[in-house]
Amino acid sequence: MSMKNIISHWINERFEVEKIKGPLKKQLEKPLPGHVSWFHTLGSMSFFLFISQVLTGILLLVYYRPTVDEAFQSVKFITTQAYMGWLYRQIHAWGANLMIIIVFLHMLRTFVTGSFKKPREITWIIGVFLFILTLVFGFTGYLLPWNQLAYWATTVGTEIAGAIPFVGEWIKTLLRGGPNVGGETLSRFFVVHVIILPWAVFFLIAIHLFFVRWQGIATMDPVDQAKEPKPEKSIPFFPHHALKEGIVFFILLGWMITLSVLMPFELGEVANPLVTPLAIKPEWYFLPMYQVIKYFSKLAGIFVVSLAPLFLLVWPFLDKSKERHPLKRPVSMTIGVLVVFSLLFFGFLGHFSESKRRILGKEYEFDIYGKPHVVSGDGIQQEGKK
Amino acid sequence: MAQDKFKNQKFSDYSYHVIFLLGAILAIFFVVFPAFAGAQKIEGNACIACHEDIWQEAQDSVHSRNGILCQDCHGGDPTKSDPALAKSPETGFRGIPEKKQIAEICGKCHADVEFMNAYGVRTDQLERYKTSVHGKKLLIEGDHKVAVCSDCHGYHDVLPISDANSPVYPLNIPKTCNRCHGNDKLMSGYGLPTDMFEKYSKSVHGQALFEKKDFSVANCASCHGSHGAVPPGVKEISATCGKCHINEKKYFLESVHAKANEEGNFSECISCHSNHAIQKPTPALYETACVQCHDEKSDAVEQGRKISGMLYHANEKFKLTEILVKKASMEGIFVEEETASLEEAKSNVTGMAPLQHTLSIEKITDLDQQANQRFAEIEKNINQKRQNLKMRKIALIPIWIFIAVMAIVLWMKYNRLKSGK
Repeated sequence: MSMKNIISHWINERFEVEKIKGPLKKQLEKPLPGHVSWFHTLGSMSFFLFISQVLTGILLLVYYRPTVDEAFQSVKFITTQAYMGWLYRQIHAWGANLMIIIVFLHMLRTFVTGSFKKPREITWIIGVFLFILTLVFGFTGYLLPWNQLAYWATTVGTEIAGAIPFVGEWIKTLLRGGPNVGGETLSRFFVVHVIILPWAVFFLIAIHLFFVRWQGIATMDPVDQAKEPKPEKSIPFFPHHALKEGIVFFILLGWMITLSVLMPFELGEVANPLVTPLAIKPEWYFLPMYQVIKYFSKLAGIFVVSLAPLFLLVWPFLDKSKERHPLKRPVSMTIGVLVVFSLLFFGFLGHFSESKRRILGKEYEFDIYGKPHVVSGDGIQQEGKK
Repeated sequence: MAQDKFKNQKFSDYSYHVIFLLGAILAIFFVVFPAFAGAQKIEGNACIACHEDIWQEAQDSVHSRNGILCQDCHGGDPTKSDPALAKSPETGFRGIPEKKQIAEICGKCHADVEFMNAYGVRTDQLERYKTSVHGKKLLIEGDHKVAVCSDCHGYHDVLPISDANSPVYPLNIPKTCNRCHGNDKLMSGYGLPTDMFEKYSKSVHGQALFEKKDFSVANCASCHGSHGAVPPGVKEISATCGKCHINEKKYFLESVHAKANEEGNFSECISCHSNHAIQKPTPALYETACVQCHDEKSDAVEQGRKISGMLYHANEKFKLTEILVKKASMEGIFVEEETASLEEAKSNVTGMAPLQHTLSIEKITDLDQQANQRFAEIEKNINQKRQNLKMRKIALIPIWIFIAVMAIVLWMKYNRLKSGK
């Protein structure tokens, strides 16, 4: 009897594995609809990135110290002294950014293929929460290295939260743990980042996946008219689709390592509450929101940007047409395209705002609203130009 | 107990009121009253009726602002509106004082400790002036061409020395001295050169003062003194320069030149550095300075060249290493340790500058070796870090080969499964 059989026999005697083999096989080989493409690997890639974040996060925790005096130095130690520390810190940082992109693209794919429609509204809502929590992951993790940019971006971010009517001040104090961003804030963000969020995301992913497996991958058939995928037009999840996911996984892993080596995130200077850097901006994924807020009064701005997650959450109940195919949903698709373009537009506007750049041989100074002004050689603004 | 507490409380409240009231009275006394009194003094001052033009000059002076008016220097009685009465001999009127009198008139107040104490101004100026070349010439020899208080500080429009418009404000001192010491006609009588201002302006001190507005550098008064102005003698030069250049002086006293200086054969700092035209010293100075006294082929000149070479190389190496560290920092390499090490090396190189005044090759070599050791260490560390970064980039090649192989294998497997269905 081979070693494999001995182990298998030993386990079977105790757990009756044979009984679950059937349902497991059924789940693994569940046929996927014919339209399932490379874009359907985005969900798995989001999950892979989450696992990668957890693993690199654990490695970071070995040396990281969440105190005002030690945080920056400990991250510096990880980057310069710890064995392969630079690599897992960079993979963690790039993983965070890529995770936001991949989760967003996964949502976009779900939106385009109409997969959020009945009966998968709850899966969509959980997905929206997962996206929001991914952003919160980014927001809380950004502060932890305790460098200048992180400190001031968090100061601005929590200040914006403070503008929410009635509960704003309370939320701001809850986030900061005091009137200013300091040691208390660092402790709170650390606890949220390494304890609360990972478990919250883990359970939401578990529920999300459970629903996905239970209800199956949506076909392109209209709502309530879904047909079982025909065997000749479908592929089993395992091993066929899993092989495609494997290919994307390796490419993504390669990209993460390449970006970590060629475009490492700078640690910058240690946080200094007495020195405010010029043009403090949040991370790129908050730039569209940050820019939109500027065009409104504080209160109206908060209201406008909070509409975005609200609309995302209730979207399955607003877009109630039976059709799933994007070409048969012109209004939804137009709204979707406009939203994506406006995110890109305001994101770039936010990126360019409060900066000076040379474009086509001319020096432009972008004001707080992102409006360019031509600057002459001696640095004087000459004219406004939209 | 409670009653006592109440009493104490009442007393405490009462005392606050008293303190407040006293404070208010004192404020009125010190701020409002003097101004009012000053105004009254000026209103009743008959001098101004005729000498309005002089009052225009004097009204913003430090003296007028403190109630020191015409009669305090010129005598006379300003309460008399009749000029004859106001200037009568009984009033002590002296009109325009003679130059000799000026020092005494100013000293009447400025040498009075009790009077000047309130203004926080020193009172030894008159005594110092008497010891100065200016003072001796004027007071003993009766030479009226030399400077007295008013020549430097002004007459009616005397300003505090902290006022940028004062002729004795640090930035203005060289120009003020040059009014006389730059005058060929005046100085020819004393056999003094008149190009000091021009030389000073181009010197390291002058450039720091005029261009960088660095008031800590030496101006005329720093070396020659102000009220006690006297040209430093041969043996006093290191004492003068050594006021600021402490280490240079300390190490100079260890050198062979110190003995030559004692014997009067060497003129300390200025022998090599000159005086008014002093330039930022570089190792090249050895080439021109040593040969002034020593034979070009002598051991002393050779020793100077060796020291010069060491200093030159240490400075050049420091600049190169500094550039290396900066470049590495811009490449994204952490250079905190190297920067700290560079600071230590900088201390070594900077320390060589005063130490060279010992002219001891052994001592300078010791610092030079320490600096070189640090430079080598920094260079080695940065090269190691650069090598590591390079290796990371090279490692991407096998990583991507592995990824490509895996992707191709999985893709082939997928296609085989799909076609086999």
